[in-house]
Amino acid sequence: MLSQSVITKLKSICGEKDVITSKIGMYAYGYDGTMLEGSHVGIVFPESTQEVVDLVNFCREQGIAIVPRGAGTNVSGGTLPSDGSIVMNFARMKKLLEIDLENYVAIVEPGVVNWDIQETLAKYGYYYPPDPASWKASTLGGNLGESSGGPKCFKYGVTRDFIYGLEVVLPTGKVIWVGGRDFSSEPMYDLTRILVGSEGTIGFITKAAIRIQPIPEAKRTMLAIFNTPEDASQAVADIVSAGIIPTTLEMMDNLIINTTEDHCGAGNPRDAGALLIIEVDGHPGDLEAQVETIGEVAKKANSKDFKVATSAAEVDKIWLARRVAFGSVARVKPNYGVNDITVPRSNFPKAIAAIEKVKKDFGVTIGTVAHAGDGNLHPLILFDQRNKDEVDSLHAAEMELCRIAIDLEGTISGEHGIGILKKALLPKEFGPVGMDVFKKVKRSFDPQNQFNPGKLIDL
Amino acid sequence: MSDIIAKIKGIVGDANVVTADMPQYLKGNEQPAAVVFPGSTEDVVGIVKAAYDADVKVNVGGNVVETKGLSGGIAVVMSRMNQIEEVDPENLTCWVQAGMNHQEFVEKLSEKKLNFPPEPYAVSTSSIGGCFSIGDVDSKAFNYLPTRTFILAYESVLPTGEVYKVGTKCIKCVSGYDMIHFIAGSRATFGILTRVLVKLLPAPQAAKAVVADVPSLAAAAKAFKAIQKRKVFPTRLNALNKALGNEVMETSGCLVLVDIEGFPVSTAQYAKEVEAELKIAGASFTKVIEDKAEYDELWSKWLKVREKINLEENKVKFTVGPAKVVNALGSLSGIVSNIEENPGVLVEGLNGKITVFTDPDANAAAINNMAMGLGGNVSGLLGSQLRCKAYNDNEMLEEISRVLNSIRSEFDPKGIMAPGIKL
Repeated sequence: MLSQSVITKLKSICGEKDVITSKIGMYAYGYDGTMLEGSHVGIVFPESTQEVVDLVNFCREQGIAIVPRGAGTNVSGGTLPSDGSIVMNFARMKKLLEIDLENYVAIVEPGVVNWDIQETLAKYGYYYPPDPASWKASTLGGNLGESSGGPKCFKYGVTRDFIYGLEVVLPTGKVIWVGGRDFSSEPMYDLTRILVGSEGTIGFITKAAIRIQPIPEAKRTMLAIFNTPEDASQAVADIVSAGIIPTTLEMMDNLIINTTEDHCGAGNPRDAGALLIIEVDGHPGDLEAQVETIGEVAKKANSKDFKVATSAAEVDKIWLARRVAFGSVARVKPNYGVNDITVPRSNFPKAIAAIEKVKKDFGVTIGTVAHAGDGNLHPLILFDQRNKDEVDSLHAAEMELCRIAIDLEGTISGEHGIGILKKALLPKEFGPVGMDVFKKVKRSFDPQNQFNPGKLIDL
Repeated sequence: MSDIIAKIKGIVGDANVVTADMPQYLKGNEQPAAVVFPGSTEDVVGIVKAAYDADVKVNVGGNVVETKGLSGGIAVVMSRMNQIEEVDPENLTCWVQAGMNHQEFVEKLSEKKLNFPPEPYAVSTSSIGGCFSIGDVDSKAFNYLPTRTFILAYESVLPTGEVYKVGTKCIKCVSGYDMIHFIAGSRATFGILTRVLVKLLPAPQAAKAVVADVPSLAAAAKAFKAIQKRKVFPTRLNALNKALGNEVMETSGCLVLVDIEGFPVSTAQYAKEVEAELKIAGASFTKVIEDKAEYDELWSKWLKVREKINLEENKVKFTVGPAKVVNALGSLSGIVSNIEENPGVLVEGLNGKITVFTDPDANAAAINNMAMGLGGNVSGLLGSQLRCKAYNDNEMLEEISRVLNSIRSEFDPKGIMAPGIKL
């Protein structure tokens, strides 16, 4: 619990109504998408870089840890408050400060919601490619913290690939700009890249220069239905081998096809083993040949059906099931644990087979959606949080999935981050030298472990 | 010193340690005690551990090693570690040893219809290890993204002698701090790269080039802006002033080099549109190159010019954004006099970047101030320092320096690696 003098000082920095210390007021900021909870002692809502600096300096003097927070959509526990910490919520720093279309750059504050950036840019025929599933709620600061991905990553890359530069408040309370308004402005070491994805553990981002680009002239959306996930995997490999890098290659398995049919009747066959949503974009004259090749590949991989959307309504219909996929599983169980394992594309079929084994070995129900092009799988383990046995099975199955990913030469997190949920498995993925390297990075920026302590690694 | 050389000879063999006739392997005026040629990661570990224990400086290169600060130290030349270990077409990846020649690597992959887009920094000597150690943002970076985006994993030997492996064949990874991409641009200060897993792309299905002799760099820059207004984004969109352009082909004005890779329909249309804009800009000569041999020859010549530019010490690189290049060229003439007659000016239209041959000590600050007025800045560490100075922000200058040196000393507590690099 904070002393009255500390609360008074915090209010003098942020303003009276932008500091919350009441139990009821803090509740909504104590959990995230993991369903876990933390125990913090206050929440502050800075509105400017200077307020962030003042808060960091004051908290350092007081020995209080700070946990940064955007919309709280995190699914690895990265935004869960640590004991006795203050949550720094960036919701008030949500300005889109500048859009420079001709130079393909926008300057934004961390609290702006990804979708709001997209909507604004769309008015000018531009967009910002990283499109995490949470984009209607998640903030750019959160996306930066996790280096979020999304369906378009296969062709365009993840958040780290679209950041030119950052204004950062360091644990020393000093403000630095790393990078600039282009990719050539790093001070030799690529500090932007080490900060993006660092889960708020080494610096708090207060402004970002993001790369924006014109919306492609044309796009074609396809749906391919398969008897088995293995056939769908083969189609993915063959599309890439044919020299085509689609914008998106999204896969859903049989369970998800059925939950989405129950939910909204998207029109997909319930007996299908898997479906692929495939999109290509670019110059209109190039797309027909690509669509034709993809159709041939799908046929060769034994697709039951292959459709090409011919109208915006058909595009929406194809995407409908994928958009409701996560929510639809509530028809089976009230809760789900979303996993984020990623394997090399060639090991995708093995990952699918391993998920089947986990289902049997741990007695859990799993539905899988995947960004199949980049080997990023989201096995959703369905459970009832009120049932302790199911929660225990969930945790055991999640750990097994991570081990499987490492054994298949992959990674435990493709786009959700480590937070606290996957921290225990980090040494298995990186070994003692790798863990020591992470500590070198953390110590360089935050030797007192004041920024988001306990997340990602322990010092 | 003789002890450590004897020790290293014991590790890599007498034939792979040179202590006389070293200049062919060195760049710079200082003299290391030996040039050594490791043949394996284990060799590199042995060399680095020996140097670390003896507190001897080390620097590394693919074929040539920078000797600044290396007097009496060890120059490690990686040219024996030059093998492609695995090409994986299904995952579009390739494991390659760090000493592999960059251009040879590109050509070998091209034979397999695979594309490794980053351009060699210096085409005659650059290695793959050097490619990522420098971490350049080259002329193709607008479309393909910077060099760093093509590293997926690597093995290195840390300055303390441990072998460090990080990364996977997955193009997505947010597991831990992003040490995979952080290595790019670190110039051996975190250790010696020994093996790299690179990301590949399918070879483009079509490629064309457009060349033009345009009256001035400003006219070329205006054409570049018009090309982008048409939503045409070629692979390369470069202009060279007369001195540099004439190393590719004789021109009366500046030489415009446009590379268009992609699919057959769009490349044909984009080539027409680009050529049309260059004619509007007053080009006295234009040509669309479709023949593969001629296309390859053109870009081979470009890479030699790029090498010359990159090896030139008296130059300043700065970025203002693609839309401000015309303004920047106008202002630049006021700082370095006539840019058309300058010994070297390169405009990379899509990156909005200009490189000019001039003495940085004399002109970098003025160029940076001009670039900042247009929303840009001088590139790299120098640019970061000049920006802080322009804002009179010593606090930021000191803090960036503190962070950089803190990271470096965590990795290299004795400061033995890449002694010529000052942060």
